[in-house]
Amino acid sequence: MGTSPHSESDSDQVGAIGRVIGRLGDYQTKDWLLSRGLYLISASVLLFLWIPLIVMLLLSFGENAITIFPFEGFTLDYYVAMLNDERLLLSAWRSIQIATISATIATVLAVPASFALARFEFPLKETYRIFGILPLIVPGVVLGMALLIYFRTVLGVTPGLMTILLTHGVYGFPFVLLVVTARLYSFDEALEEAARDLGAGPVATFRDITLPIIAPAVAAGFLFAWLRSFEDFIRVFFVRGTINVLTTTMYSMIQYGASTKMNAISSIIVIAIALVLVVAVVLGSVNQFVGDTTEDE
Amino acid sequence: MNTLSRIQSRLLRTVRSRWRQLGIAIGPSLIYLLLLLLAPVTFIITVSFLQVNDSYQIVLEPTLENYNSLFSSEGPFWESTFFSVVMESLTIAVLTTVITLVLAFPLAYHLSKAEGAVFQLMLVMVLLPFFTVYLVRVYSWLLMFGQNGVINTTLMAFGLTSGPIELFNYGVPAIIVGLIHAFFPYMLLSVYASLDGFNFSLIDAARDLGAGRIETFRDIVVPITLPGVISGCLFVFVPSFGAFITPVFLGQGKVLMIGQLIESRISSLYAIDTASAIAMFIILAIVIAFGLAFRYIDVENLGGV
Repeated sequence: MGTSPHSESDSDQVGAIGRVIGRLGDYQTKDWLLSRGLYLISASVLLFLWIPLIVMLLLSFGENAITIFPFEGFTLDYYVAMLNDERLLLSAWRSIQIATISATIATVLAVPASFALARFEFPLKETYRIFGILPLIVPGVVLGMALLIYFRTVLGVTPGLMTILLTHGVYGFPFVLLVVTARLYSFDEALEEAARDLGAGPVATFRDITLPIIAPAVAAGFLFAWLRSFEDFIRVFFVRGTINVLTTTMYSMIQYGASTKMNAISSIIVIAIALVLVVAVVLGSVNQFVGDTTEDE
Repeated sequence: MNTLSRIQSRLLRTVRSRWRQLGIAIGPSLIYLLLLLLAPVTFIITVSFLQVNDSYQIVLEPTLENYNSLFSSEGPFWESTFFSVVMESLTIAVLTTVITLVLAFPLAYHLSKAEGAVFQLMLVMVLLPFFTVYLVRVYSWLLMFGQNGVINTTLMAFGLTSGPIELFNYGVPAIIVGLIHAFFPYMLLSVYASLDGFNFSLIDAARDLGAGRIETFRDIVVPITLPGVISGCLFVFVPSFGAFITPVFLGQGKVLMIGQLIESRISSLYAIDTASAIAMFIILAIVIAFGLAFRYIDVENLGGV
C-alpha cells in the first residue's frame, strides 16, 4: 500500500492515509512543517532561557519558598529579611565598588590597546590580540588559581582587596578590547584627515571627531567589564583572602540553606540588571539619534 | 606663548613619532598582561613539573611525579579516578556544546531575518538572562531540579507522575541544562554574527536551480556560518570543560568535574603542584580546541561576543 507517496489513492481503504502520507512528501508541506518546527524550537529556547528566572521571581513572593505547587499565598517577608541582613548588603556595596574600580582599570588599559591593534602594524600583533582575549577564554578556575598562586607564593602578597582589583582588571580587559576595536575598525579615518586638513590640531581632532565616535563603544565596554566583575564568583573566590563580595556571600548562603533570602536578593539583582540594560540601550539609541540630527544640519 | 600651550606642544612633539605613539598605546596593557596573565600561567606550568615539600617550599628539580600520582591506580591508568574525572568533564562539555549549537541555530536564523521591534525584543529576551549574575542563574536551576525541585513537584501536583523522576534530579542532565543556559548566548551571537547580512535569496536560488534541502544546507549555509559555529563552539566548550559552580550546585556531590578537583586541591590543601598539574589538562584542552579552530577561522572571527 502507498507504493509511491505521490499517487493519490490506490483503493478506497488506504486512500485517506495515502493522501496524508502523500501530503507529507509534498514540497510545500515539507517546507511548512520545517519552518513551523524551526519556530517551535526558537520559541521553546526563549522560554527555556526565561523559565527558571521567572520561577525564582515567583518563589521570592511565595509563602512556600521551595516550590510553586501547592501555592500558599504571597508574602514580602523574604525581602524584609534580606534588607535586615547587614552582611549581605555590605558585601553587595563592596561588589559595586570593586566592579567600578576594576572596570576603570580595564577601560584605561584596553582603549589605548584597541587603538594600537586597529591603527598600527607591529610585530606579533596577532599574538598580542589572542593574548588580550585570553582572560575571557581561560576558565575562571584556572585564572583564579594561577593568580592566587602567583600572588601568594611568587609575590608574597596577602590576598585581599588589592588582589581582587588586579584580577578583575585582567578579566575585564578583553570585553573592552573587543567592543572598542570593533568600533575602530568601522571608523572612517578620512573624517580625522578631513579635520586635520581643515586646520584642526591633533588634540582638537581627537576631542571633536574621534572621541564622540568611539565614546558609545567605550561606555559599552566599561559596562561589560563592570557586569563581568560584579557577577564573577570563581576568580574572587580564589583571590579574595578574607574579603566577602556579593557572590561569595550568596554562595555561602546557598551552601547553608538560606534559600528564602537568596530568592529575594537574586530577584532584585535580575530586576536591577534589567533596568541598567534598558537604560543603557535607551541612552545608546538617544546618542545615535542626536548624532543623526547633527549630521543633517 | 603661554605655559599651557608650551607644555601641549612639547607633549605633542614627544608623541609625534609613530613608534612612541605605539609604545604609549600598547605599553601599559602589555606590562599589565605580562605581569598578571603570562607570568602566573607560566608559573603554574612550571610548578606542575616541580614538587612542593612539607614546608610549602618549591623543590627546584624537574619531575613528572605530579602527573604520575594523578594517574596512579590499582590497575592501568584509565582506571584512575583522575582519568574518569577528565572523561566525565569532557563528555559533559561536548554534549553541552552540541546541544547548544542545535538549539541556537534556528534562533540565530530567525534573529537574522527579524526586523525592527521584533528584532529588538528577541535580542533583549536573549541578552537579559545572559547578563544576569551567573551564580543567580545556576541557583535558579538548583530550585528547578532535585527530588523535591519545582519540576518534579509540579509534575506530581498535576498528577503527571506518581513519584519524582530521576531525570529531573541533580546529576549530569541537570549540569548540562545549567551549562547550556549559562553559555547559550555565546553560541547564538557567534552564529548570528555570521548570518547577519547574509543574502537569503541565495537559498531560494539554489532551490530553484534544483538543489535539495540537504545540498543547499551543505553547500551554502554551512560555509557561510562555519566561522561563527566554530567560534561559538569554542566559547561554549572551554568554559563548560572548566566549570565549577554548575557542577557543585547541580551535581550535588554525584558528579565530580575537573574544576572542582582543582578547587579542592587549592582550598583545603594548598597543594599547588598537584593543582597546577590538573590545570594543565584544561590548558591543554584549550590549546587543542584553538589549534583545531584556527585551521578554519582567523583570530578576527573570535570577536562575535
